[in-house]
Amino acid sequence: MNSPVKHTVAGKPVPLVDGIEKVTGKAIFTADMETTDCLIGRILRSPVSHGRIIRLDTTQAARLEGVVAIVTGEDCPQTYGVIPVAMNEYPMAREKVRYRGEPLAAVAAVDVKTAEMAIDLITVEIEELPGCYTPRESRAPDAPQLHDNKHGNLDRDVHHKFGDVDAGFAEADLVCEETFSCAEVNHAQMEPHAALADYDPERGRLTLHSVTQVPFYVHLTLAQCLEMDTANIRVIKPFVGGGFGARTETLNFEIITALLARKAGGKIMMKLSREESFLTHRGRPETEVILKIGLTQSGKITAIECETTQSGGAYAGYGLVTILYAGALLHGIYDVANVKYDGYRVYTNTPPCGAMRGHGTVDVRHAFECLLDRMANKLELDPFAVRRSNLIKAPTFTANELMINSYGLDECLDKVEKASGWQTRKNSLKPGHGLGMACSHYVSGAAKPVHWTGEPHAVVSMKLDFDGSITVLTGASDIGQGSSTIVAQAAAEVLGIDLSRIRVIANDSAITPKDNGSYSSRVTFMVGNAAIEAAQAMRKKLITAAAKKLEVHPDEIDCEGETFFVSGSSQSELSFHDVAIAALAQEGTINVKGTFSTPVEAQGGKQRGGAVGSTMGFSYAAQVVEVKVDVDTGQIKIEKVWSALDCGFAINPLAVEGQIEGSVWMGMGQAMSERTHFIDGMHTHANFLEYGFPTIMESPHIDVQIVESIDPLGPFGAKEAGEGALSGFPPALVNAVADAIGLEANFLPLTPDRVLEALIKFRRSARRREAIA
Amino acid sequence: MSELLPEFEFVRPKTIEEALEVFKAKPQSRFCAGGTDLVVNMRRGFVDLETLIDLTSIPGLKNIDFDQGGLHIGAGVTLRTLTENSQIATIFPAVAQAAGSIAGPNHRETATAAGNLCLDTRCLYLNQSHWWRKSNDYCLKYKGDICHVAPKGNRCRAAFSGDLAPALLVYDAQVDLIGPEGSRRIPLKALYKEDGADHLSLRTGELLISIFVPSNQARSAYEKIRVRGAIDFPLAGVAVSCEDIDEVTYRFKLAITGTNSMPIVIDVPDLTIENTDPDAYFQAMGKLIQKAVSPQRTTTIAPHYRRLSIAALAARIARGLLL
Repeated sequence: MNSPVKHTVAGKPVPLVDGIEKVTGKAIFTADMETTDCLIGRILRSPVSHGRIIRLDTTQAARLEGVVAIVTGEDCPQTYGVIPVAMNEYPMAREKVRYRGEPLAAVAAVDVKTAEMAIDLITVEIEELPGCYTPRESRAPDAPQLHDNKHGNLDRDVHHKFGDVDAGFAEADLVCEETFSCAEVNHAQMEPHAALADYDPERGRLTLHSVTQVPFYVHLTLAQCLEMDTANIRVIKPFVGGGFGARTETLNFEIITALLARKAGGKIMMKLSREESFLTHRGRPETEVILKIGLTQSGKITAIECETTQSGGAYAGYGLVTILYAGALLHGIYDVANVKYDGYRVYTNTPPCGAMRGHGTVDVRHAFECLLDRMANKLELDPFAVRRSNLIKAPTFTANELMINSYGLDECLDKVEKASGWQTRKNSLKPGHGLGMACSHYVSGAAKPVHWTGEPHAVVSMKLDFDGSITVLTGASDIGQGSSTIVAQAAAEVLGIDLSRIRVIANDSAITPKDNGSYSSRVTFMVGNAAIEAAQAMRKKLITAAAKKLEVHPDEIDCEGETFFVSGSSQSELSFHDVAIAALAQEGTINVKGTFSTPVEAQGGKQRGGAVGSTMGFSYAAQVVEVKVDVDTGQIKIEKVWSALDCGFAINPLAVEGQIEGSVWMGMGQAMSERTHFIDGMHTHANFLEYGFPTIMESPHIDVQIVESIDPLGPFGAKEAGEGALSGFPPALVNAVADAIGLEANFLPLTPDRVLEALIKFRRSARRREAIA
Repeated sequence: MSELLPEFEFVRPKTIEEALEVFKAKPQSRFCAGGTDLVVNMRRGFVDLETLIDLTSIPGLKNIDFDQGGLHIGAGVTLRTLTENSQIATIFPAVAQAAGSIAGPNHRETATAAGNLCLDTRCLYLNQSHWWRKSNDYCLKYKGDICHVAPKGNRCRAAFSGDLAPALLVYDAQVDLIGPEGSRRIPLKALYKEDGADHLSLRTGELLISIFVPSNQARSAYEKIRVRGAIDFPLAGVAVSCEDIDEVTYRFKLAITGTNSMPIVIDVPDLTIENTDPDAYFQAMGKLIQKAVSPQRTTTIAPHYRRLSIAALAARIARGLLL
C-alpha cells in the first residue's frame, strides 16, 4: 500500500461520480425538495444583541388563520453544543438573548405570507443590557457577563509549554515580536441553510433532511433536544452546496424545524435567507496573535511564544477546539522544540463562531509566516532558505507529540520556487510589483473525535447482489469535496473492477453506516481506508468463489481487471458475473464491511486538550503569490499564484487540483476583502454584496502542483487535500505586498482603505526616520 | 425572514401615453425597465407601490442614434448595448467604460441607461432586510425619523451610486422628460438634488425617455474605486474629459459619483502647459477634489479613504488624457 504501485482507478483524474447531476441541475438539494404537502417555517430573531427576555407573547400570532404551530424557548429546555463539555446554547433563547439575530420563536403556517405575518404578530419585550463586542470590552473588569458561569466572559483559556522556551530565546541571534489582527470571516457557502422535517405523530417518528456536514451529530442532538429515542429519528443529507465548516455542528434551525414538525404533527420546510445563513455563522473568529520567534543567524528557529485571543461570539460551539488548534498547529510544519502557547477564547455579543476551513490554524499560521519572512529579511536570508533550515525529518513526533510519518514540504518548496522563477525574478520586478511566499499544513482527520466512544472512526459497508453491481454504503457526507468519488475509486481499485460497476449510497441513517461526518479533513483518510478494507473483504470472497469454481486453491487465483483465472494459465477464465454468481450460490447476497481506527500513538499528547491537532498525517503546502500594488488607491491586484500541496497521494488528481484552487481562492478572500462587520453588534455584512468575497475578476491564474509523499497509513498513501493550501495564501500575499512597496501589514483583510491608511502611516514614519538619520 | 416580494399589480403599456395614463389612474405606481435595482429594493421592503408599470414593451426606447448634433440614447438601451457600441466607445469612451463597469454581465444584460441615471441612493442603513431596518428604528429615507449616518443633520445622506451619470455629465448631456404636464429637456445636472431621500428632480409621474449627448471632441475616461473588480457599487467613481483648446491649453471636466447624494461636477481651471508645472497642477486638482466631495459613513469603507483615493484616481486619469 505504501510503495509506488501501479494503480488502475486510484490516481486517475476521473470526474466526480455525482458531477453529472450537479451540472445538469438534476441534483436535489434540501431547498429543492417537494413542498406541496409542507407547512412553511419561519424564525423570529432577537432585535438586540444583549438583553433579558421579559415577555414573549404569541397569542395574536396563534390566532392568525393558517398558523399551525408556534414554538419558543419554552419548548426546549435542553442546551446543546458539539462539544459534550461545553453545551451552553438553546435552540431558541430562554431568559436571555446574547446576539442580535438569535432565534426567539418560530412558526409553521400554510404559506410563506402567513408565516411572515405571524412572525410580525409575536410581541417581544426585552430589557436591553449593555453589550460586549470585542475581547477588550468583554474582559474589562466591569464588563457585563454573557454567561453566569463564565466569569470574565472567558470561554476557555489554554496554556501549553513544550521544551525550554527561555533557553531557546537565549540561543537566538534575533528575537522579534509582533501583533497581528485578523478579521472575522464567514464560510459564505453558496447554498443558504435549509431543513425539511417530517414528524409522523402515529408512530412518533421524525425524519429530517438537512444541509449538514455531520448527520450523525444532528441525529444525536435531535434526540437529546426533543427527548426522543435515536431509533425513532432518521437523518438524511441530500446534495449539499458547500460546507467549509459552517455545518460541522448541529445548527439551531435544524432543531427548531424538528420541534415545529413535532408540534404541528406534520412536515415543515424551513429555508433560511442569506442574512439568516450569515447570522447562523460559526465562522472563523476575529483573532489577535501576539507572536515572538527566535532565530539563529543561519535561520534555525530556536523558540516560539504565541498568545492568541479569539472573539468567539455568544456561545461555546466548537470554540474550545478552535483555540486549541491555534496552538497545536504551531507544531508539525517546522522542526521546533521550544514552544509556549497561551490561548484565550472570549465571549462577545455577536453570532457564535465555529469551525471554518483550516479550523483554528489560519490566523496563527498567517502571523507566523509573516514574521518569519520579516526576520529572514533582517538576517538577509532568502525566504525559501529560512524555511529549508527548519524542515522536519519524518517519521517523528513533534514536541507536543503529534505523529508525522510523511513530509513533502521540501518538495513543495522546490516546486513553487522553480515554477515561479523566484530566484531570477524576485529582485528584478517592476516597481509596485512583488513576490511573496509562505508554507502551511493541516491535519488529515482528528485522531480522536469529539464524541469519543471507542468505536471505529469509520465504517463502510459493501453489498454484492444478483445484478453483479457493487453498492457501497457510507455515512460520509459528500458536501462537494468529492468524498463519494474517493470511496468509489478506492473500492474499484481494490476490486479491480470498472468504476461504473459501483454505486455509492451515502448519508441516510436508516441505510448507511454511521460516520462522524465531513470535518477536519478526515474522510479521505478514514473512510478511504475503511472502503479499502471492505473491498479487500469482498475481493477475498470473490477469489474464494472463483477458486472453488475452478477447483484450485485461492492462492492460485489471479485477476486482471474483471477476469479471474488460474495463475499462469490462460484457460478457464471466469468473468466478474460468473464469479459473482458463484459467490452468491454459497451464501446469497454478500454483505461485507471495512472499518478504520486510528492508532493510539496518533492520538496526541497527554496534556489537557492534547487530542486536538492529533492526526494520522499532515498535508503540507507552499505557495508563491505575485502582486501589483497601486500606491495611490491602495488596491492590490494578484497577478499569479503558484501552489504545491503534498497530499500523500492524489487518489483523484482532478479533485485535488480543484481543492487546491478552492483553498487558494478562499485564502485570497480572507486576505483581500472578506470580513464580517458590526456596528455595536448590528451586522452590516450579511449579504453577498457587502460581504465581498472575490469575484472572477480577482481570480488570478493558479499554477497547481501535486506532491506525493506516500503516507504509510494513508489509503494508497493519501492524506488530506482540502484545507492545507488555504492558510499559506494570506501570509504569502502580505509578504508579496511588503516586497512590492515595503509596507509590512499586520492586519487582514488588506482592503484598499486599510492598505492606504497603513501606507500613509508607513510613509510618515519613513520620513521621520530619514529626518532623524 | 426570507423576503417575499410584496404583492402588486403588473401592467405592460405599449406606448408612453398609455404608461402616463396608467400612472395618472394609479398614483401608487412605479415605472420599471430592467428592474435590477427596483425589484431588489421591493423585495427588501422599502419601496411602497401598488402597481408596477413595465416599460419594456414600448417601442423606440431602445434606440441609439448619432446625428449632426450628437448622440441620442433611448431610456431603455441596456448597459450591455452601451458597452458594446463601438461608436460610443470611440467618441465617448467614458460612457462605454462607465456602462461596462456596472455590476456584472447578467445585470448589464437587462439594466438600462435611464435606470442607472435614476438609480436610487444607497446606504448601509437602508439596503438591509425589513427585520434589520425595523430593529434599528428605520431611517430618514424610509419610515424613520433620523439619519443614522449623520444623526444631528436633517437630511438623508444616502449616496448616489450610478456610474453612468458622471460619464454623461462631463459631456454636458441633457435628458428628455415626459410627464402629465408635457415634455421638457433639461441638463442632466439639473436632474439631481443633494438629498438622499429625494435626489431626483423628476415631477410626479414624469418619465425619463432619452438622453442627448452633444457632439464633442474631448477625450475621456471613467474609473471607480471599489473593493472588487465586479458587482460592487462605486465607493467613488470619476469621469474625466479633456479637450485641447489650443496647442498648449487643455480643458478638463470632472464629475464624481458615490461620494454625495448626487453626482457632482467639479470645475477646474484650464491647464496651460507653458506657464504651469503639470505636477503642481494635478496635485492642486487632487486637493480641489478632496475639498469638493463629501463622502459619509454610508458604506463600511471609511469616508476618508473614498475622498483620498478618488482624488488620486481622478488626477491620474486626467494626466493620462494629456496628449
